[in-house]
Amino acid sequence: MTSDATLDAVLSTLLPGDGPWPDAGTLGLAATLRADLGDHAAALHATLPPGFAASDEAARVAALRTLEVGQPALFERLIAVAYTAYYVDARVRATIERETGYENRPPQPLGYVLEPFDERLLDRQRQRAPFWRHA
Amino acid sequence: MKTLRATVAIIGAGASGGAVAWRLASAGIDVLCLEQGDRLDQARSPALGHDWERALQTRFHPDPNIRRGAADYPVTAVDTPIQPALFNGVGGGLLRWGAHFPRLRPSDFRVRSLDGVADDWPISYDDLEPWYDLNDAMTGVAGLKGDPGNPPRRAERDPPLPLGLGGLRLAAGFDALGWHWWPSDAAILTRPRPGRAPCNNCGPCGVGCVRGARASADNTYWPAALAAGARLATGMRVLRLTTSDGGRCIAAIETVDRSGTRVRIESDIVVLAASGLGTPRLLLASADRHHPDGLANASGLVGRRLMHHPTAIVTGVFDARLDGHKGPFACALYSQEFYETDRSRGCVRGVQLQMLRGSGPVATALGGYMRRLDWGRGHHRDFVRQFARGATLTVTAEDLPDAENRVTLDATRADSDGLAAPRLGYRLSENSRRLLDFGIARAREALTAAGAREIAVNPLSRMAGFHFLGTARMGDDPSSSVVDGEGRCHAIANLSIVDGSVFVTAGAVNPTPTIQAFALRAADSIRARLKEHA
Repeated sequence: MTSDATLDAVLSTLLPGDGPWPDAGTLGLAATLRADLGDHAAALHATLPPGFAASDEAARVAALRTLEVGQPALFERLIAVAYTAYYVDARVRATIERETGYENRPPQPLGYVLEPFDERLLDRQRQRAPFWRHA
Repeated sequence: MKTLRATVAIIGAGASGGAVAWRLASAGIDVLCLEQGDRLDQARSPALGHDWERALQTRFHPDPNIRRGAADYPVTAVDTPIQPALFNGVGGGLLRWGAHFPRLRPSDFRVRSLDGVADDWPISYDDLEPWYDLNDAMTGVAGLKGDPGNPPRRAERDPPLPLGLGGLRLAAGFDALGWHWWPSDAAILTRPRPGRAPCNNCGPCGVGCVRGARASADNTYWPAALAAGARLATGMRVLRLTTSDGGRCIAAIETVDRSGTRVRIESDIVVLAASGLGTPRLLLASADRHHPDGLANASGLVGRRLMHHPTAIVTGVFDARLDGHKGPFACALYSQEFYETDRSRGCVRGVQLQMLRGSGPVATALGGYMRRLDWGRGHHRDFVRQFARGATLTVTAEDLPDAENRVTLDATRADSDGLAAPRLGYRLSENSRRLLDFGIARAREALTAAGAREIAVNPLSRMAGFHFLGTARMGDDPSSSVVDGEGRCHAIANLSIVDGSVFVTAGAVNPTPTIQAFALRAADSIRARLKEHA
């Protein structure tokens, strides 16, 4: 089984800290990553070189680039679960709110304002004669 | 083995099965519907939680091979560039859909006569129009009458959904080019109905609608069908249909319930509403000595002529924030400027351009509508550049039927009850590729006119296997079709098919309103036959 340290190192390499953005490997996401990888976790474990977690960033990047090229299906699954785990994390959501203005709350129950449709937008389209074909 | 009886047994409780159940039960007919999935409690949708985007990647993932829900069956999809997207449960694929609700155009029913390709349908738009109207009324449609690109709509509509900031820019872009656009017909309420609240513009319709605003068969047809006396059996997987009378009648439906108990269903009439994937699978899996190549397959067309809606995705990134996460993701506006054949383009039939709003954070990072953001240093810079600043046009091409594009049975793979998995064999045709390329160029023009600073193109979405059409086509000639214009099998008198299998051609729009209108019309035909024999 891939250790938490190895998965954290994978996460730190994929999504390193950058200014206000937290390092994915420091958020305690390893268990989520393992669970969501499912059968792919063992394949990832078998693919990463020994000592991956202890190696420097350049070596980890090189190892993951090799995986990306050599086993694209496995790598895309890894990316899907890593990005998902990271961007649904409350701490990351709070960062998104600060950096972009995106409200850090679920879509429901509040939703967003349903503004009325302004039919004047269609003034030009309404001048057009029907152009569907009779058949 | 247990045995259940009904006058009409329906297989599948999705868009078409729900419509048939309501129509027949409302006429006092004893109806039993079999659904392999369960009810989904949409009032507890993941949209209420912070991890709603994780749900889209896991238990609400469109691909059953990734989702692996208890009710799902595997789909072998190695010989196709387009992966399957479907959902099993009461409501079927509508539990997961974006609710764009266009009708086919009159010309879609006459492509052989008008354009010299494929085949005409045995029915016309005018034949179907009363049932389109009935379906609109049952569903609840937001939209606006007066679209010059389509025949006038008689059925009343709720006010249209707002376009949002991205839609306003795109509308201006289309106007600047002198091209058609119109606000989407959406199967989403903007006014309340009993038991359903109007949309509050939350966005992720694909994880279920807490408010019931987005129509799905479980909140439109099923409450009315059950109130009228229809029976609905969930967790019931159909294994095969058996025949009698020398193969001319369905004798029974063999099923297994969720406890593993075998249940035999006997009915006067069987209605297949299991989708253009599930229906040919069952017909092929039910081969017997009278039907050695699969039920109702004397024409050899069961499973053949598979049509998708090949989709390209063209996304513009704008300098300004567009907040595309606000509003139903698939319903804003569409353009049918290029819907009809123009042979100067080097291809036949046409495309629809349909706006998708923006993405949430996860989808932005995964490149839902664009390229996946690269990992490593620089990832967050790219995220900030793109998030909430995108607007997308999908290019939907009309796929023409090809007998070599087909659903077969996988000889080595089965579901949890031992029924062979369906296997997809599909190749994108040269005509469809040209249509997509033409549409991509037009979408680029529209997004440029709208002010996009950067445009990304996905020339063929892998995840666009949401429509399975044509795999048991209708027609007047039993040698070249499986069912007649009312969905009744030529070869088996008490078997009808009402899902997307029966399509002769695909059009270039979401097929759901047409599937449901056809199902309602087929139900009225069944009702008339039962009355005649009573």
